Amino acid sequence: MVEFERFVLDNGLRVIFHKDVTTPMAVVNTLYDVGARDESPERTGFAHLFEHLMFGGSINIPNFDGPLQEAGGSNNAFTSNDITNYYDVVPVQNLETALWLESDRMLSLAFTEKSLEVQRSVVIEEFKQRYLNQPYGDLWLELRPLAYQVHPYRWATIGKNIEHIQEATMEEVKDFFNTHYHPGNAILCIAGNLELDEVKRLVEKWYGDIPSKEKKVRNLPQEPKQTEFRTKTIERDVPSDVYTYGFKMAGKGQEGYYEADLISDVLGRGKSSRLYKRLKKELELVTDINAYVMGSTDTGMLMISCHPSDGVTLEQIDTEIWKLIDEMQSTLVEEAELEKIINKVKTTKAFSEQGVLNKSIALAQSELMGDANLINTETESYEKVTVEGIQKHAEEILQKTNCTQLIIKAKKNDE
Amino acid sequence: MMNRTIAPETSTITHIDFQSPEIDTLGNKVNIYSMLETTDETVRVDFIFDAGSLKTSKIIAQLTGELLFSGSADKSSDEIEDRIDGLGGFTGIEVSTEKSTISAIGLKEHIVAITQTVVDAIINVNFNPKEINQLLQSKKKKMAISLEKVSTQARRAFLSDLFSNSPYGDLTQLEDYDKINQKDLIEFHKDKYLKGLQYISVVGSLNEEELNSIKALGNQFSKDEVTKIDYDYSYTPNNIHLKKEQALQTAIRVGRVLFNKQHEDFIKFSVVNTILGGYFGSRLMTSIREDKGYTYGIGSGVAQLKETGYFFISTEVGKEFKDLTLEAIKEEITLLQTEEVSETELSLVKNYIIGQILEQSDGAQAMMDRFISVETYGLDFSYYDKFIKEVNEITPKEVKELANLYLNWEDFTVVSAG
Repeated sequence: MVEFERFVLDNGLRVIFHKDVTTPMAVVNTLYDVGARDESPERTGFAHLFEHLMFGGSINIPNFDGPLQEAGGSNNAFTSNDITNYYDVVPVQNLETALWLESDRMLSLAFTEKSLEVQRSVVIEEFKQRYLNQPYGDLWLELRPLAYQVHPYRWATIGKNIEHIQEATMEEVKDFFNTHYHPGNAILCIAGNLELDEVKRLVEKWYGDIPSKEKKVRNLPQEPKQTEFRTKTIERDVPSDVYTYGFKMAGKGQEGYYEADLISDVLGRGKSSRLYKRLKKELELVTDINAYVMGSTDTGMLMISCHPSDGVTLEQIDTEIWKLIDEMQSTLVEEAELEKIINKVKTTKAFSEQGVLNKSIALAQSELMGDANLINTETESYEKVTVEGIQKHAEEILQKTNCTQLIIKAKKNDE
Repeated sequence: MMNRTIAPETSTITHIDFQSPEIDTLGNKVNIYSMLETTDETVRVDFIFDAGSLKTSKIIAQLTGELLFSGSADKSSDEIEDRIDGLGGFTGIEVSTEKSTISAIGLKEHIVAITQTVVDAIINVNFNPKEINQLLQSKKKKMAISLEKVSTQARRAFLSDLFSNSPYGDLTQLEDYDKINQKDLIEFHKDKYLKGLQYISVVGSLNEEELNSIKALGNQFSKDEVTKIDYDYSYTPNNIHLKKEQALQTAIRVGRVLFNKQHEDFIKFSVVNTILGGYFGSRLMTSIREDKGYTYGIGSGVAQLKETGYFFISTEVGKEFKDLTLEAIKEEITLLQTEEVSETELSLVKNYIIGQILEQSDGAQAMMDRFISVETYGLDFSYYDKFIKEVNEITPKEVKELANLYLNWEDFTVVSAG
């Protein structure tokens, strides 16, 4: 059980406080309700570029990292298609340094041309390092626009292409900040060996005078139900083939999400999963296979991905995967198999809540989904899933007309 | 209106409380370290064996480790995995150059049963040829993929050049996978697993009975003398470029053989390393990422081996920035050697380093890791008191002296791939 307190400032900032007496560190986690899905199709990669700019100095403080490091702290951030999240970890006695820095960049950035210019290059190098210069690095750049035709999930957080980042202007940067970076669009989570009154006083002190702005109403085009099988084959300079299958499923928190997550576990999580046992161990058709869910807020995907063994055809693998899927739809999963999966979910959950930083991030994300207490009720939601529910959703999700397939073929080199 | 340009007061950390694990010695002379005061239901049990890749031909150690759960005369690999998964358990296999770590991970209620399954699998594994072959196919494929990356290419060339006179530089090659003999695996397993347990560590709120069960499991192994290592760490600095036409970035590794924490200059040199490339605000990051935008990231570090260590700088830069980056690295090193670091920068780095030690000691598992990281080198927790003291005492003059002593470009092997 993760205990927490919640309060809201007059300017709309939602604050979660978690007391943890076991740690000498304090965490300040700031979640902004903005991700790559909020970008314009003409300016993709912006939310992530913006995350970089948040370290380029704020209105009153020229350098973000220096003072935090001087206080013995460290920080980082990440951007997804749904959110942007910043965290600082400091010795608890220096908590105020983190609040000072974080509140100032919520108030306003310095917006220097130099910072924009340099971070554009840094992000372009990141684009190359993580997506273009790695074997299979562009898999999601290819798969997303195939699977999503309307929803902004059709581009990756890094952006559709390098040009979008190259062309970003200061005017757009300022607009983005004004729209998305303000108290009403943020969730602040503070954790450590602290007292609620002291946390309230400090948060009021540093955040209380940040002007409130109106929260932009999100009105994204939702992806219509997929009605046809989509497949695409691309050739790349990679050592071996990779086959990927994506099935549309519920977003996190929506009806059917937990069932879909458990279906992916039954199919392809770990060495006792069905795909692994059948395709790898028994038939030796693949050298590796797994299944997982994306965990996105809007319509997500249940993914199956495999490396075929040498000499095996796509047809052989297709046949076996669909046969296995058919079994999931026609026969109930045994109670013992479901119990096994739930046990793994429980272990994973317990380990994922270790440490004050993980708890803070999870609390903020749960609050964004509607209630910080979801962190405590999530396991229960998994436990409520029945074998009948699994069958019903397997029938719904694992349909060929709901599937997007991407085949990456190794280019044959003439040697 | 509040003046936001003034930073809040901060206080410096002068002391960190370290908590030692309980140490007990089993009948087979194997030590078991346990941290039982934890706040949740998670438990991790690590078995450390003298089964690193230095102790045989590299690939044999790796394969033996990864095949430990591949089945015995009376249980198939599927049955073992089913059993562990059914208990909500996870296993870990990590084979490094010097040792192998096999972990049983799970919740308190199931951990004894999980560990039992793990130990039973390790002891009775029979290296079924079909399992060996499946693992070989999958590992070969993974390695082929990894070898495509310029970062892997540069790292491998760097290590094999720097340690050309010792087994640390003898890396696995793709064709090694075609020359596997089941007999070698069986032999290595007998010597280095059945007779090679070094110690056990337990983190989790086990009661006495549960801990005793783990101890009884550990007692099924024996502990032979560790294979002594005594290598030649001399090297000749080299310049190596590996060409990859279609690469968009060039990976760079620069460095030299240095020392580990047993050396008297190790702590103070860590401060020099941090200033140069050891944190986000380091000089290399500031110059090459934040000022010039050549890279997504650049860093430096000291990797520690049993008897020595090596210093390295590592980055991936846009192809067109390779020479400019090497120049900029040189410039930063020369600066450290010719100009004293300012008191402001030095004080920031000192506070940062000590803050990191505090963060890395947060929680029972972290505390165990800290303990192991000194114990491995024959040291104890007093090392960290010494660490904090020496970090706090280092002067700008000493930083400059150490940079002159250990960071000379002519001592560096320079590798680029791309």
